[in-house]
Amino acid sequence: MLSLNNVTKKYGNFTALEDINLEFSSGIYALLAPNGAGKTTLIKMLTTLIFPTKGEILWNGDEIFGLDASYRDIIGYLPQDFGYYGNHSPREFLLYMSALKCIARDKAKQKADELIELVGLSDVRDKKMKKFSGGMIQRVGIAQAMLNDPKILILDEPTAGLDPKERVRFRNLISSLSKDRIVILSTHIVSDIETIASRVVMIKNHRLFTNDTPASICQTLMGKVYETDDITSVNSPYLVLTEHQENGKTITRFVSETNCSDVARSVSPNLEDVFLYIYRDETM
Amino acid sequence: MDEKTKNKSIKYILSHGLVKPQTARERIAEMLRIIGFRFIFWDTGYSLFFTAVTLAVVLMLFSFAPDDYRYSASIAVAPLFFLLITMFAETSERVCGLYELKQTCYYTIQQVTALRVICYSVVGFVYTAVITIISTESGYEFFSLFPLCLFALFFCAILSISFMRFLHGKWVYAVFSAVWVVVNTVIPFLLRDKWETILREMPTAFSVVLAILGGAILAYQVSKMLSEVKKYAIT
Repeated sequence: MLSLNNVTKKYGNFTALEDINLEFSSGIYALLAPNGAGKTTLIKMLTTLIFPTKGEILWNGDEIFGLDASYRDIIGYLPQDFGYYGNHSPREFLLYMSALKCIARDKAKQKADELIELVGLSDVRDKKMKKFSGGMIQRVGIAQAMLNDPKILILDEPTAGLDPKERVRFRNLISSLSKDRIVILSTHIVSDIETIASRVVMIKNHRLFTNDTPASICQTLMGKVYETDDITSVNSPYLVLTEHQENGKTITRFVSETNCSDVARSVSPNLEDVFLYIYRDETM
Repeated sequence: MDEKTKNKSIKYILSHGLVKPQTARERIAEMLRIIGFRFIFWDTGYSLFFTAVTLAVVLMLFSFAPDDYRYSASIAVAPLFFLLITMFAETSERVCGLYELKQTCYYTIQQVTALRVICYSVVGFVYTAVITIISTESGYEFFSLFPLCLFALFFCAILSISFMRFLHGKWVYAVFSAVWVVVNTVIPFLLRDKWETILREMPTAFSVVLAILGGAILAYQVSKMLSEVKKYAIT
């Protein structure tokens, strides 16, 4: 189990994260927060790239920074800006990363071929990566993160810059990789995690806001989300969540603390509603 | 001491105390076996090319150095291969988009760099010997100048590793190489013949001791770098 106990990270006078307490066991954990909330800071601490100012991060009871290489041996990481060598093929790149991950050459070749097939790049495994699309590069990225069969897979904004089709493909891939391991996925795109996350971790004002299942999080707005084609008829205070067109009318989805069922239709809240409601004051 | 702390300490002692720590030699052998020369120098082709071009220019200038300044010129030029290849290779490593990812791998960039430093030092040793042979006319002169040039090489390698371990800026190598060149150009200008005389009159035994000491400190630094727990990752 991976646990964070009272973790705080400060950069000079700026507090990026404060007093975070979390526990991760097998499953997909989505770090959901707007940009600048501290998701990447948290991920960098979990990958030993930066150190907490206060608190401790433990893997099965041992400090991860003390574990050093033996901790790095069990993590797979895909950074937000995944650099790659354009002049090399995915296979060469995976063999290189295998060497840095201390995987014996014979095993590395076998593993690289398996992963290339898993991420659907068999046809281009010996082609130079400089001609690859963003989605293909991200698939190479996930393959390199899986090389050491990690117990903890950490993905920082893995779907940023991908088209909708690639995002769906990526989501399915992550879901298939989540068996018997901890997958920590940071994103600010709700649809990326709505269907696959076993728990959603939300950070607000640099502190842990919630850590719960998507259903339980949605439950917090149950009976408060409505839709109407005439928002002007709503007299009680409300917050507009989304608007869409339907049969020539503008349907407004909103949240209100008071009962509006006389002028609007009550609907089941989804994770996006909760996200918009929680971060209503923040620029996204 | 409470029960939790006691159990934690026992667990730590059992997990660490029973494992014999790897020696630097074992670590190097393991890394060479797993990573191999190909991947130690992966994507350093450009660095080698730029080093070769820069060295060619420097050696051309070196051939024009007056005989009266052969010692000071040789000492300035001796560590240049090491400095240039380290500067080009490590700076590109730090600015490339994979730096962060590599720092999360089993072998960190520092450890791979330590292996590179060993290889660069070996090549640098040969290069230093060649420079000394070109600069000297007798066996006596060679044995007087070679340990000094070697000390200059080891001194630069020690400083490079120290910068790598304690200063984490992206451009630290470039700055260090530039400082070496500037200092070695300024000293002869400021001290004129005095610097050359100091170098020429330095007892050979003293130079040899300096070179051996430098080599020993370098070996110690490299072994520290290979085995130390990562204290930083990104700048």
